[in-house]
Amino acid sequence: MGVRESRKEATRLRVLDAARDLFEEVGYEAATIREIARRAGVSVGSVFTGFASKSDVLGEVIRCRLDELYADLECVTPHLRGSTADRCRLLFAVHYAFEFRRLRLFLALISASFEFQETPGQPVLGSNQRLRGMVLDCLAEGVASGDLRPDIDLELAVDTLVGVYAWNYRLAAADGADAQRLTQLFDRQIGLIFEGLTRAS
Amino acid sequence: MNHFVYGGLSALELAERPNQRALAKQRTREKIIAAAKALFAERGYEGATIRDIAKAAGMSTGAVFASFTDKSDLFIDIAETEQAELYSEMRAAKEGLTGRAAILAMLDAAAERQLASLALVQAIMSALWTPGLGDKVRRRLDRRAAASLILGVVQDDLQLEPGGHCATLISDMIWDGYLASLRRAALDGLTLEPLRARIHDQTKTILAGLRRG
Repeated sequence: MGVRESRKEATRLRVLDAARDLFEEVGYEAATIREIARRAGVSVGSVFTGFASKSDVLGEVIRCRLDELYADLECVTPHLRGSTADRCRLLFAVHYAFEFRRLRLFLALISASFEFQETPGQPVLGSNQRLRGMVLDCLAEGVASGDLRPDIDLELAVDTLVGVYAWNYRLAAADGADAQRLTQLFDRQIGLIFEGLTRAS
Repeated sequence: MNHFVYGGLSALELAERPNQRALAKQRTREKIIAAAKALFAERGYEGATIRDIAKAAGMSTGAVFASFTDKSDLFIDIAETEQAELYSEMRAAKEGLTGRAAILAMLDAAAERQLASLALVQAIMSALWTPGLGDKVRRRLDRRAAASLILGVVQDDLQLEPGGHCATLISDMIWDGYLASLRRAALDGLTLEPLRARIHDQTKTILAGLRRG
């Protein structure tokens, strides 16, 4: 890496660090590119050299964080044991535990995900394809092993599980629920959803 | 009897003056709300300023502040009306229906209404997840009213084990599943029919676990 590239990369990392902390402190709407630049000690212009928009910065902050999570998780998932429901429970429990470490950052992401897309065609904020992929694999295995009904619509089942998982965060935003409470709640919800997925129709 | 007529007239006149003032005040409020609704839908909560709203409504910022204490007050007022109308349409949709049909009819009505004003719904959802503002919105909105409408049907018509916790879980999941689908509709540009089909399938998936045997 040349001097210019490594300086560019250092700026990028400083911007991402500053942005992560600011989003966590004030949420998505109130965070400005100007403040991110000030905290990172760079000019507003150099933030825009690396990123197209505020949502682009947030998307990148989240992607870096998830890279850390999935580096570990993807090594573990092939070795998960137990019923399909239990394997799903574990996947989501890991996600709750992880997101609660920076809960306000995650809530900022949810808030931003309802915003209008600044650049159409960009990957959508808040749509975690790797989580969806893991759950899909888990359900597909369940079908293959005869644990789940063969006729279920896998995509729809993934959407249902991920949708319920994500909306449980409202209890964290409104009631101050912790990761443990959401995990326990989701364990029961998974039980109810899986009764429909396992019983012969 | 003359003095009675006279007295009556003057009483009417007295009553009418504040009435007209109230009416004018109401009209101003409505003008502000219409302008604000359009701007919040177009730019989101943070992007729409009181100055822009006043300009679009054809009045001064002072006139806006005479009707609403601040931007969040105006925003929450709009959100409250939206929710109240949503719930009354959902309630009307389930009239005469029971069980799953009643739940699906309520979700159909909700989807039709919210898809038509999707940008404003997005702005409200986004605000709900924003620190500070979200708490203010939540204090004035009964966001779980829709889930309670569904809970009513689940409890009345579907055969559940005693205990009731399961009924609350199920109705919350149905409403959250609906909201998740609506968000997807916003992101993927779904039209009403595919959105409805999705919501039906998802709701049936959640309800499928309930039926025994």
